[in-house]
Amino acid sequence: MEYLLLYAEGTDPQPYDPADDTIAAWVADVEARGVSEFGERLRPGQDATTVRVREGRTLTTEGPFTEAKEWVGGLDIIDCRDLDEAIAIAARHPVARFGTVEVRPFVRWPDADPGARVVPPGLADRPVKGKRYVMFVCADPFGETGGQDDPETWVEEMDGRGVRLFGEVLRPPADATQVRDRGGRVLVTDGPFTEAKEWIAGLDLIEVRGLGEAIEVAAAHPMARGGSIVLSPLWPLDPEDDHVARAEREAPERGRRLEPRVGVER
Amino acid sequence: MVATLIRVTGDWDVAEEAAAAAFERGATTWPRDGVPRTPGAWLTTAARNLALDRLRRRGVEAGKLQELGVMQTRAGRTPPDPADEATDGPAWDDRLRLVFTCAHPALPLESRVALTLRTVGGLSTPEVARAFLVSEAAMAQRIVRAKAKIAHAGIPYRVPGPEALPERLSGVLAVLYLIYNEGYAASSGERVQRLDLAAEAIRLTRLVVTLLPDGEAVALLSLMLLQHARSAARVDSDGELVPLEEQDRSRWDGAELAAGLSLLESLAPEVWGPYRVQAEIQAVHARAGSAEDTDWHRILSLYDLLPKTPFVTLNRAIALGMAAGPPAGLAVLDELAAAGRLTGHHLLPAARADLNRRLGRRDLAAGYYREAIGLAPTGPERRYLQRRLAGLG
Repeated sequence: MEYLLLYAEGTDPQPYDPADDTIAAWVADVEARGVSEFGERLRPGQDATTVRVREGRTLTTEGPFTEAKEWVGGLDIIDCRDLDEAIAIAARHPVARFGTVEVRPFVRWPDADPGARVVPPGLADRPVKGKRYVMFVCADPFGETGGQDDPETWVEEMDGRGVRLFGEVLRPPADATQVRDRGGRVLVTDGPFTEAKEWIAGLDLIEVRGLGEAIEVAAAHPMARGGSIVLSPLWPLDPEDDHVARAEREAPERGRRLEPRVGVER
Repeated sequence: MVATLIRVTGDWDVAEEAAAAAFERGATTWPRDGVPRTPGAWLTTAARNLALDRLRRRGVEAGKLQELGVMQTRAGRTPPDPADEATDGPAWDDRLRLVFTCAHPALPLESRVALTLRTVGGLSTPEVARAFLVSEAAMAQRIVRAKAKIAHAGIPYRVPGPEALPERLSGVLAVLYLIYNEGYAASSGERVQRLDLAAEAIRLTRLVVTLLPDGEAVALLSLMLLQHARSAARVDSDGELVPLEEQDRSRWDGAELAAGLSLLESLAPEVWGPYRVQAEIQAVHARAGSAEDTDWHRILSLYDLLPKTPFVTLNRAIALGMAAGPPAGLAVLDELAAAGRLTGHHLLPAARADLNRRLGRRDLAAGYYREAIGLAPTGPERRYLQRRLAGLG
């Protein structure tokens, strides 16, 4: 079964200890299991851009949808045996020790080809031609209702433009599982990491020229009207890099927005 | 049987329907053709064929077979668990898997309890609904949601591997203890105890102990038996609560006490988890001929082995009041009250009232009894405190 692992930081008063951020060991374990389809770190919350369309106007705001402190610092898509294996993998991830790993199953379409995967094979070998964003498609009780909300047309258009690299719908938050490791004890609970009213309903990986095009692509998605779209730029990392030195080097980058400023109506 | 069918079909509803249909078929054909030599195996085979039939028929329209196919394909992609391959494996194996699936921590706690009673315990949905004082419709929906999460989130139907087993087994025991406690000391309503739930919890814990002999599981069973043995004496003829010190000990169930004590004695010395400690505390009461003969010093030293939660501290203070005199107990209760961690809970003023009553401080005791009466959540507890208050004279 395929699962999305979302790494949520700031969900807990658990202090971040760079010495404990041993991502290389985790990557080695996942490689050995042969379960990984995709995995990326994301820029911190202040570099996320939320896109909504209300009454025909595109509204952009800096930061993720949620008022809360926590946001997704990275994600993996894995294909493993069942929820217990997904939990075991999630529990070994460094973020499980100072944040929360949310395990989300994807929707399984009854008419889908059983061999199909969320991430198309060969994506890893495809050269990066522009800037990549993870586009979180979020349901939101304040969104506009009615009208056309089937993303099929959007998918066709963006696939045709070569903008959308892959995307899939998630099972609702009731099917989510949270995994934490506190002092060597694995804590498993039901539900999503955030208590916010908005929830992540699906995601797409897009490749665009920059934030401007990403906003245009996001605004064209029917869920920009019915909910909100959060654009998170990737934040590549080399797992072999010394993680303590990296944390030190990146510290100044964590607090300020590197993405272009937004917040004006267009 | 339902457990076996769930493994074979991967579909809980189909499994339950097929089991019912097989019984029905047996009821019509056996009087005519005679009872088969192994009725259990006959029923399982019949039900399995019915279930697969049903899946095949429904598969075309609802994609169920595909789901089953997906499960099989996935099992083929990763090294299969040999236990999954044996479709004729012993039924106990299936029941154990079912226990772990129903108590999976990815399910909300109330769903774990409901699903365990419904699927492992075999209670009907209305029975489970009654046990937890919710409407049948609400309980049915809770169970449907839980089953849906099992299917959609890929909660496996197997006993966890050695790495996760201790954590997960303690989760299973927690669910059983919760069911037992709801039976032993109903948290709401008018009845002191719901023996049906307590008895069901004992039956399920016995099943787990048979399937997976684990020290803490044995200790939990012992704890349940030692408490349950006092059921008849805990309630008087009017259905009112009788405190331990006033119980007629000849009405304790001797066979259950003996079973509980012998389980406790069978434990290896290194098994010393929280259920063992609580069972040992109950064993001290079980061995005492009267409230006065109780070895309160041993009870105190046992409480010291438990994590110092506010409730453990409260119970330890009561034991200290018995062992070293009420003032010692009251001093601890004062600290507990000052810390504010049990604010709003009736047990704290009730304990303060009781120790003051033993010291003959009527006015103080009366004040605490009134406070406790205002906070008590159930009718029997409220009335017990009112009788105590009236008894101050």
